[in-house]
Amino acid sequence: MSSLNDSNDVYSSNYGSTSGIAANFRPFSSPYLNYDPGYIPQNQPEFIFLDGGSKQRGRFELAFGQIGGSCMIGATFGGASGFYNGLKATTLAGQTGKLRRTQLLNHIMKKGSATANTFGSVAVIYSAFGVFLSWARGTDDEINTVVAATATGCLYKSTAGLRRCGLGGAVGFGASVLYALWNSRDKLSSLRQFNPA
Amino acid sequence: MEEYTREPCPWRIVDDCGGAFTMGLIGGGVFQSIKGFRNAPSGINKRLIGSVTAIKQRSPIIAGNFAVWGGMFSTIDCALIHMRKKEDPWNSIISGAATGGILAARNGLPAMAGSALIGGVLLALIEGVGILFTRLSAEQFQPQLPPMEDPQSLGEQQPPGGYAFQ
Repeated sequence: MSSLNDSNDVYSSNYGSTSGIAANFRPFSSPYLNYDPGYIPQNQPEFIFLDGGSKQRGRFELAFGQIGGSCMIGATFGGASGFYNGLKATTLAGQTGKLRRTQLLNHIMKKGSATANTFGSVAVIYSAFGVFLSWARGTDDEINTVVAATATGCLYKSTAGLRRCGLGGAVGFGASVLYALWNSRDKLSSLRQFNPA
Repeated sequence: MEEYTREPCPWRIVDDCGGAFTMGLIGGGVFQSIKGFRNAPSGINKRLIGSVTAIKQRSPIIAGNFAVWGGMFSTIDCALIHMRKKEDPWNSIISGAATGGILAARNGLPAMAGSALIGGVLLALIEGVGILFTRLSAEQFQPQLPPMEDPQSLGEQQPPGGYAFQ
């Protein structure tokens, strides 16, 4: 290896000290490399994007992860709340021992699965709307998020009457607007700095 | 499916859970819509209402069961990958059987054994079909020898027509 990096090897002679980096550092060079490796940036991460590909992951790629994640979060919260309710109920009923354990398990399973199902269903509907919107519009931005969340709220509460449907849509709209604002806070702050008037 | 690739291992659990939930929700929705339509009192409006009610009530539960299956399967699969240091069809078959067994744990030992057997056989079938398809699709990528002609059959006669170099 040292013979390749020697100062008097044949191949690196034409790079000389005019290369872009300090002269005391002699990069590895070979006859097959027709440019100075010193020009390759070394201390910053390199990201390789496909030409013409989008710079972020698509909605469909993220959908299953989101659905599974919301399912698991729902199961965790529901399980915790079921555990709490079960503790209260069994203490009130004065159940102890094996009976109490089984009752607690029943509470946890019931509440946990119900919450997980609710969360997961909402996530599936939201992902379906989001994937459809980004496919139909050809872009993936905050408008998709807001529209998909509003439509999800409306659809989820659509059988409970017009008022509840609107309420669900409003909840989805509010949550998604908050999320979109939080997500693009860098853009917003730069906008404010750019326009001091 | 053009932008879908499998996640690395710990995140695969979440991904598989979500995929199974989606599958269960859509499949259960279709199934329950037909069932609710058939079981409702007559009259098209009532049948549609029955259909929607059935979807609302039952398909999230089916989806939840699917998600539990998928998440448990993937968890055991990842654990097996970590322990055995390799990924092969046996991982899937073992984790299918283990999932079936664990999820039937509250129904007694015979139910667990039956469930484990069903899970293992099901996953073995899936893996077998996958291997079969890989074999079938790999056949067309095999290097083909150029067709050899027996030089003796050429004889001394000239090739008829076509190109002739003077």
